[in-house]
Amino acid sequence: MPEALPSVAPLPGPAIDLQRLLIPDPARTVLLRVGGDSMVGAGIHHGDLVVVERHRPPRDGQLVVARLADGFTLKRLMRRDGHWLLVAAHPAYPTLALGEGELWGVVTHAISSFSP
Amino acid sequence: MSTALVLIDGNNFYASCEAVLDPAVVGKPLVVLSNNDGCIVSRSAEARALGIPMGAPVFQLRAELERHGVIVRSSNYSLYADMSQRLMATLETWVEELEIYSIDEAFGLLHRPAGTGDLTAWGEALRHQVRRQLGLPVAVGIATTKVLAKVANRLAKRDPRWRERGVFDFTAMTDPDPWLAATAIEDVWGIGRQLARWCRLRGIADARALRDMPAGELRRRAGVVGLRLQQELQGRRCLPLAAVPPAKRETCVSRSFSTPISTAAALKEAVATYLCRAAEKLRRQGQRAGSLTVFVRSSPFDGTAFYANAATTSLPLPSNDTAVLLATALPLAERLFRPHKPLRKAGVILQELSPITLLQHHLLVPQTPEQQQRREALMEVVDSLNRRYGSGTVQWAACGLAPAWRMRRGHLSRAATTRLSDVPVARA
Repeated sequence: MPEALPSVAPLPGPAIDLQRLLIPDPARTVLLRVGGDSMVGAGIHHGDLVVVERHRPPRDGQLVVARLADGFTLKRLMRRDGHWLLVAAHPAYPTLALGEGELWGVVTHAISSFSP
Repeated sequence: MSTALVLIDGNNFYASCEAVLDPAVVGKPLVVLSNNDGCIVSRSAEARALGIPMGAPVFQLRAELERHGVIVRSSNYSLYADMSQRLMATLETWVEELEIYSIDEAFGLLHRPAGTGDLTAWGEALRHQVRRQLGLPVAVGIATTKVLAKVANRLAKRDPRWRERGVFDFTAMTDPDPWLAATAIEDVWGIGRQLARWCRLRGIADARALRDMPAGELRRRAGVVGLRLQQELQGRRCLPLAAVPPAKRETCVSRSFSTPISTAAALKEAVATYLCRAAEKLRRQGQRAGSLTVFVRSSPFDGTAFYANAATTSLPLPSNDTAVLLATALPLAERLFRPHKPLRKAGVILQELSPITLLQHHLLVPQTPEQQQRREALMEVVDSLNRRYGSGTVQWAACGLAPAWRMRRGHLSRAATTRLSDVPVARA
């Protein structure tokens, strides 16, 4: 009597690679940690990690990181009357002018963790 | 089709890396110190403008640095290595072939249909994009050979007429001679101090004079190497691009101690630490070592009789397993230790390297394939943890915890791109 053939499981397809999904261009991508709650209206919370792509030209309406004299800041970029503004997604926070600051990168993802 | 050779390198690379993820230091004078916070090895443009000299021992300059409010940083190798990888990965998209020459410079080969004009605009675009996307300033030298590309790069960086642009393109020059004449013989790539002196004695003071001197005379003094250098200056390509670096023949990790080591236990901790690092390098290079050397030396300056010694041993079977290598290295360290010779430096060299693809079975060292696979899997886990969370996350107990001899790095910035807990904050 022939031995029973081992059951053949279907071969797994290529796994979903989060790294490639979130960071397709690692050389020009930086992770930053969010500090503060001015962007909760955009779904970005204190303590989140954000993926910042530095090679994407920032456009009106996008979430961006700007480098200001005193540090990085995360806001929504808006163009009003020929000026670039950094707008919070929380009524208690003022709108900032980009001024001398540098548009540093575009936020493509925010990663929230719910377990310590 | 014409080809161009370009040399791209970072300006004040270490100092520039420090500013990439730290807005607080952008535009400020900053210096980076060598191992053990000894000398100044990199200066930001602002520190350079203050006249702070390169290579100066930092203790001689304390007052001056403080007066000018200069920011002082220890060498943050994990940050520089990561920025270097980002730079090289970006450059690869700009050229047909890339030869990574050092942590902050690379040669590139570029094919262009003949007559499509000079590459100055291309160089400027590259420079702009690297600056914008990585935050790193680079200089671009464009020519037809490596030696000329080096000269061009130097002009792009140093010559006041080109510094602003940061690009110098020999292929765009109708007459390269004045630029070669403006390059001192000592600044020609590959000309050592001895050869430069010899040239000077013959009235050969700059790159143009070297290019035009009698080849026979140069050959008698400097052999084929000198001749090749001359031909490269003439625009004849003799040094090909080494796109794939040759496999390393040995790997060495050594450091000076911040405080002298005078116990066998401390020496063993230091040797274990260097060995762990060397073994990790080996695994990254896909190699195994056939033999291993440990060396030690005292300080030549501290008044006691100088002591230097080394011991080598062959491994029964080529290995890159940290545990196996430790078991071989630690007895050597013990043997080299002398009670009344305080040591200032030690190191580990792994030799007779062979690629891991060469599997060898050995009758005298019984290790089943399963056992071997398990060891390899363990090493992989250790390496990936250390890569992800910073070196030293997982380490062998033999390395000791917070030892006193560890390299002094009192002004270390954060591992902002390689360690999760060091990621900078964006205020929201």
